[in-house]
Amino acid sequence: MSGPVRFWPQASAIARRDLDRERRSSEVVWITIPFGAVALLLIPLAIGTNEKLLRDIGPGMFWVVVLLFGVLTSVRRTSVETPAQRDAVALLGIDPAAEFTGKAMALTVMLIGFELLVGAAAVALYDIDLTGWPWLLLVIPLVAVGLAELGTLSGSIATSVNAGPALIPFLVAPLAIPLLLGATQGIEAIHQGEGIVSWMLLMAIVVLALAVAGVLTARPLQETR
Amino acid sequence: MTDAASRRSFPRWLDIVAVLGVAAALGFALLTPAERTQGTPARMLYLHVPSIWLAYVAFVVTLAGSVAYLATRRMHWDHLAVSSAEIGVVFTGIAIVDGMIWAKPIWGVYWTWDARLTLTAVMFFVYLGYLALRRTIPDPPARAGRAAILGIVGAFQIPLVHFSVMWWRTLHQPPTLLRPDDMQIDGPLLAALWIGVAAFTVLYVALMRHRMELARIELVSYGEAIATVGPVAGDAVAAPEVTAGRSGL
Repeated sequence: MSGPVRFWPQASAIARRDLDRERRSSEVVWITIPFGAVALLLIPLAIGTNEKLLRDIGPGMFWVVVLLFGVLTSVRRTSVETPAQRDAVALLGIDPAAEFTGKAMALTVMLIGFELLVGAAAVALYDIDLTGWPWLLLVIPLVAVGLAELGTLSGSIATSVNAGPALIPFLVAPLAIPLLLGATQGIEAIHQGEGIVSWMLLMAIVVLALAVAGVLTARPLQETR
Repeated sequence: MTDAASRRSFPRWLDIVAVLGVAAALGFALLTPAERTQGTPARMLYLHVPSIWLAYVAFVVTLAGSVAYLATRRMHWDHLAVSSAEIGVVFTGIAIVDGMIWAKPIWGVYWTWDARLTLTAVMFFVYLGYLALRRTIPDPPARAGRAAILGIVGAFQIPLVHFSVMWWRTLHQPPTLLRPDDMQIDGPLLAALWIGVAAFTVLYVALMRHRMELARIELVSYGEAIATVGPVAGDAVAAPEVTAGRSGL
């Protein structure tokens, strides 16, 4: 069977495996999402509970929480995988690029769930202005895909490393800046009556570049495990 | 001159040229007429621009070394990448700090949330992450392979930092040397700036020679350490002999 024909079934199988694992453990639902909501509660306690201030900074705080706590999801995905499981996947002949894609797909689904539930909490707690909300239908998946690709790539780089759980957030956070900028500045541009397209383009380019980097480097990374 | 002798003498001459070059650049920086509007604080330009130039060069070389390592799997390219990344991080740090010192009398603050400043700080942390990753992986080939990928992904920051002053309306001035259109700087100031850039480039080459040699020695010592490992627990235990056709069950 040719490569491209097997690629998507393999990627789907990997994605299903990761989602099944999450369904059984419910770590994102019961730990990461509540943790993100707690962070949203802590911020006003630290900077003050002025309603106008919170309304102004609410969207930015939401995206920072998504970035920092979303990374925890990819850290967890990496740390639960044992070397034996990785070896088994390699010995089964799974295409490393399909493995990267499948993991990123599963992580995207989890991050979209995280964004929606924590986003609902942010709207309720900060009384966020939802002007231009249809654009969120594009912004939320773009951020999720970008973070998932970055998390999966960094997870592969830091696989089997003792300091991996500490290292992954450090690798992801600076590289995720274009996503954070695109999400926050795009929504701000709508509120200012300016165009959002250039910010969406920036995010789309980052997502595409990360996808290419993830797929092209999957095999060399597998060889270094 | 033998190869070994030339290898010994070349860095020594290069070191001398680098030190003299940097001293000359600093001399020109102090002797060049003061800039009309900013006055003496603008002399920071002669340290700031060469530092960030050197950082750009260093990170581009890291990118090249990373790509070459993945293509050839020769450790020499990994040595090139890591040596250059270390020097790049140091000089990015210098550029950030001297930029902050320059900013205080001109902008009134050490730090402002300007696109160029913020992205330079981000670039600094990306490559600090690259060095942190390397410290966590003891096995040289595994370390080289994974670091090479981060070295490639991290390079996306370089054009972002450089062109940020053109893409966003920022407080930071546009590029002085590497700008696509004409340069707007007076002759003597430009000459002093070019001398600084040239001197820092020679300094970079000299530092690279030393750091790459150190990386080679590290690799050799790692190999020797692995080869001279004494007996470990379990060495005395032999695998059970299995004879065909017989089973204990």
